[in-house]
Amino acid sequence: MTTPPQSGREPDTHVPAEALMTRFEAPEPGAADATDTTGKGKKASGQLRDIWRRYKRNKLAVVGLVVVAFLMILAILQPWITPYDPMEQNLLNTRKPPSDGHWFGTDVLGRDMFSAIIYGVRLAMIVGWSVMFLSLIVGLALGAVAGFRGGALDSLIMRVTDIVLAFPALIGAILVVQIFGNGIWQVVIALAILSWPTAARLMRGSTLSLRESEYVEAARSIGASDTRIVTRHILPNAIAPTLIYSFSHIGVAVVAMASLAFLGIGVPPDIPEWGTMIANAVPSLNVEGESHMWVFPSLAIVVTTLAFAFVADGLRDSIDPKLR
Amino acid sequence: MAKFITRRLAHAVLVIIAATFLIYLGLFVLGDPFASSGEKTVPPEIQEALREKFGMNQPFFMQYLTYLQNMFTFDFGIDFEQRRDVGDMLAAAVPATARLAVIAILIEIVIGLTAGVIAAVSQYTFRDVFITIITTLGIGIPVFVIGIGLRAGLSGEWIFPAVPRSFTVETPWWQEIILPAFTLAILDAAFIARLMRGSMLEVLRADYVRTARAKGLSERKVIGKHAFRNSVIPVVTYTGVSLGVLLGGALITETIFEYQGLGFLLVRAIQQHNNPVIVPIVVFAVLTFVVLSTLVDILYAYLDPRIRLH
Amino acid sequence: MARTDSTGSTPDFDLDGQAAPLLEIDDLRVHFKTDHGVVKAVDGVSWHVDEGETLAIVGESGSGKSVSAMSILGLVPTPPATFPSGDIRLRGRSILKMPEKQQRKLRGQEIAMIFQDPLTALNPVFKVGDQIAEMIRTHQDVTKTVARRRVLDLLGEVGIPNPGVRINQYPHEFSGGMRQRAMIAMALANDPKVLLADEPTTALDVTIQAQIMALLEKLRQERNTAIVLITHDLGLVASHADRINVMYAGRIVEAGSCDDVFYRPQHAYTFGLLSSLARMDKQRQDRLLPIKGVPPSLSKVPPGCPFHPRCQFATQGCVEAVPTLETVVTDETMNGGLHRAACIHSDQVEIAYSERLAP
Ligand SMILES: Nc1ncnc2c1ncn2[C@@H]1O[C@H](COP(=O)(O)OP(=O)(O)OP(=O)(O)O)[C@@H](O)[C@H]1O
Ligand SMILES: [Mg+2]
Repeated sequence: MTTPPQSGREPDTHVPAEALMTRFEAPEPGAADATDTTGKGKKASGQLRDIWRRYKRNKLAVVGLVVVAFLMILAILQPWITPYDPMEQNLLNTRKPPSDGHWFGTDVLGRDMFSAIIYGVRLAMIVGWSVMFLSLIVGLALGAVAGFRGGALDSLIMRVTDIVLAFPALIGAILVVQIFGNGIWQVVIALAILSWPTAARLMRGSTLSLRESEYVEAARSIGASDTRIVTRHILPNAIAPTLIYSFSHIGVAVVAMASLAFLGIGVPPDIPEWGTMIANAVPSLNVEGESHMWVFPSLAIVVTTLAFAFVADGLRDSIDPKLR
Repeated sequence: MAKFITRRLAHAVLVIIAATFLIYLGLFVLGDPFASSGEKTVPPEIQEALREKFGMNQPFFMQYLTYLQNMFTFDFGIDFEQRRDVGDMLAAAVPATARLAVIAILIEIVIGLTAGVIAAVSQYTFRDVFITIITTLGIGIPVFVIGIGLRAGLSGEWIFPAVPRSFTVETPWWQEIILPAFTLAILDAAFIARLMRGSMLEVLRADYVRTARAKGLSERKVIGKHAFRNSVIPVVTYTGVSLGVLLGGALITETIFEYQGLGFLLVRAIQQHNNPVIVPIVVFAVLTFVVLSTLVDILYAYLDPRIRLH
Repeated sequence: MARTDSTGSTPDFDLDGQAAPLLEIDDLRVHFKTDHGVVKAVDGVSWHVDEGETLAIVGESGSGKSVSAMSILGLVPTPPATFPSGDIRLRGRSILKMPEKQQRKLRGQEIAMIFQDPLTALNPVFKVGDQIAEMIRTHQDVTKTVARRRVLDLLGEVGIPNPGVRINQYPHEFSGGMRQRAMIAMALANDPKVLLADEPTTALDVTIQAQIMALLEKLRQERNTAIVLITHDLGLVASHADRINVMYAGRIVEAGSCDDVFYRPQHAYTFGLLSSLARMDKQRQDRLLPIKGVPPSLSKVPPGCPFHPRCQFATQGCVEAVPTLETVVTDETMNGGLHRAACIHSDQVEIAYSERLAP
């Protein structure tokens, strides 16, 4: 299977990950004075402004950002926007093409497609962001510990990531769902389990290179504690590649859920989810007048993934202008 | 080099052992795989036969060994649905999947490399922008949307067979494979193009490319020999891993086109809780993936002499 | 001390082209368009070099030395670079105006370059021997075996022990000094008429530096090669160069024979460079005077003389106009036409320097 979840593994193949890591290896020379937090704060906001200035130049990324914001608003306001209850079936009015009453038509069970798709936005956002936060938190924590502590703990964490990454993404997700059973949160857990290892490895890589860097040495020499060194000096500087990866993983998680749902795995069949909707439309694929059943959910998912991909690209390019 | 290979192989073996153990734990221990669930009732005599076969009446560790032994002797038992020998089912599906994987990979390499090199050498021109947009779309659009689109638009037309198949008409294999292969190839071709563009751009800035130019080599040789050889390394890595994934079965694509490979088999088995089919396919998928990743690492070391030493 | 106006063109050869210099750069400008404005890396540079001659180009980091040399071989990427003006002539023929294919024939054949950083200048995935052989076979129609034999000779010639083994090794198996030698072997492979040596010894330790310089010296004597030696190292210049160009912020600020520039510097920047140098030939060391400040950003070159913000002699006049490179006429030297400087305080500079030199 070549599914987008697998492309989410990209930072794990040799070069991208290394490139990503080395780019953040060299800390700013000015950061060397570890005690001067005010100067650093100023510098950080200057960096942010720089990043935003570069980000703005990428028109697609700006469009992506607008679309992402719009999707978030839709997701939050969904209960007030949808004209129908997205779950409500009407077996007397199935597979109807778009009309005034049903802008996107109705599905096999007579549900309003428009309402279902907006509901799908909410679902996608919940799942996408949840997976991102879960894997980010776990990945950052374990990656930082592995990179900073080294030794047996490091080996243990890395071997665990090895084993998780030995599963092709979709297969791995299926396996976890098989074990935990069906349900949206089970899917979230499954996707998070599969995506934290890459985040952890990225984080470990940048932590490792920062650990030996001058300003961490400086902080250590003035007697800063390990916790303080990690939270104050390593995290802020090492976090960028991991953040970029995790953010780009939102779109991947959305597609992964839809893929599972399309295969009828994990996502309960009665929940209006884009992949499920498309799967339901498969028997109608070549039927005249029923294309709305797969076209609209397909568009929804394409718009969502592209928007997130544009934002992720923009972030990567603006945080690291060299790689354009 | 020999040391590197040995270490890498040992690592792969350990990972495979751990992964198969997890699969076993997940599917066998955490739930009774042979119990009836949902609408599916498993005939008691089959349940009993399978329990016997997988040694479910024995202590845990023995069970695991039996499971391993069965996997590696290609003795998978009988499937719940049609009571066929699972080994026979796999023997039919593996070649179909392998053929699909190899053809998809070939397509994506040709398209992806060409597009990536063209984009890199004509950076910032219209061609580059065009290729970048196309690759962004190719990466951004999920495989099943592409597949569904291709099936809705093309299946049953011209040389493309209709889906679902009509069993009265014999279709040559290449006609059956063409749409699924392109569906699979599109994402990866886009990805390869982007990877190649990025690494080529980086390599083109390298000092040794400047040296090659200073020798008076033609631009064609500079790009085609000096730059290409270096920038293709990450693509080789990616393609190898990708092949490792595809060989385990293209679940979505095979399902969309009802292509009779491992992926199609697996999806159906999952929907029907047909554990004797699920387990060997999952194990096989993990196996091919790990093996290919390992091979790729070794190949990488071969392609980049700097790695070879350690 | 008097000064005469010069026309700007090099006066030491006949304009009818009879005695056109081997390699000549004329009013070359190389500008980079970047996010932070136009970087004027090379801004109106002229020089020439003849057979058997060593021309040194010295200057601080970022003064445009490498860029000016690389533009001779067409190695400056466009974009971002533009060439607002200038010409480069080999034996009077303009290289820039030649079709690309002819230009390529010159590269590596007539003009070869040793690059600044030997660690990255060799392709990591090909064997060193093959990379040198490629240089030969690109320009000469010889078989692989002949090329290989030539490579073995070359490797021996540049002092690489065990050429038979080394020829089959990859760059990462070479030490820095060995890689530099390999680069030199590559540059010499086709007996070039001009050798552009960009800091050929910077990365190396002192003994190897001496060996490499001896190698270049031998080459110049035996094959009459013209060498353009780019370096920060004034000591190297003093012992190897015939003439010196001092570059600052993309321009030549002083040019002349080794003796002229070392003993009678006319530009405040040269003065600064020499004063910051420990001299072996003097018993009592003067206090070394480092040049204060940092080189200007080439996208924001100060108005007037680019050196004035760091200059101890600077006056209002230095800010108002860019000084032109003018011929220095002194009593001590016969070849007045060769010594030129772009400084309006050259008199003061010379006096100040002679005071430093005096015991
Ligand atoms: N491709 C490029 N794009 C933008 N600016 C460039 C490029 N190449 C060189 N420059 C700029 O041109 C200026 C001159 O560079 P150059 O390499 O010639 O300096 P140099 O005198 O050789 O210094 P060094 O002694 O450090 O080698 C520098 O400021 C450099 O930043
Ligand atoms: Mg230089």
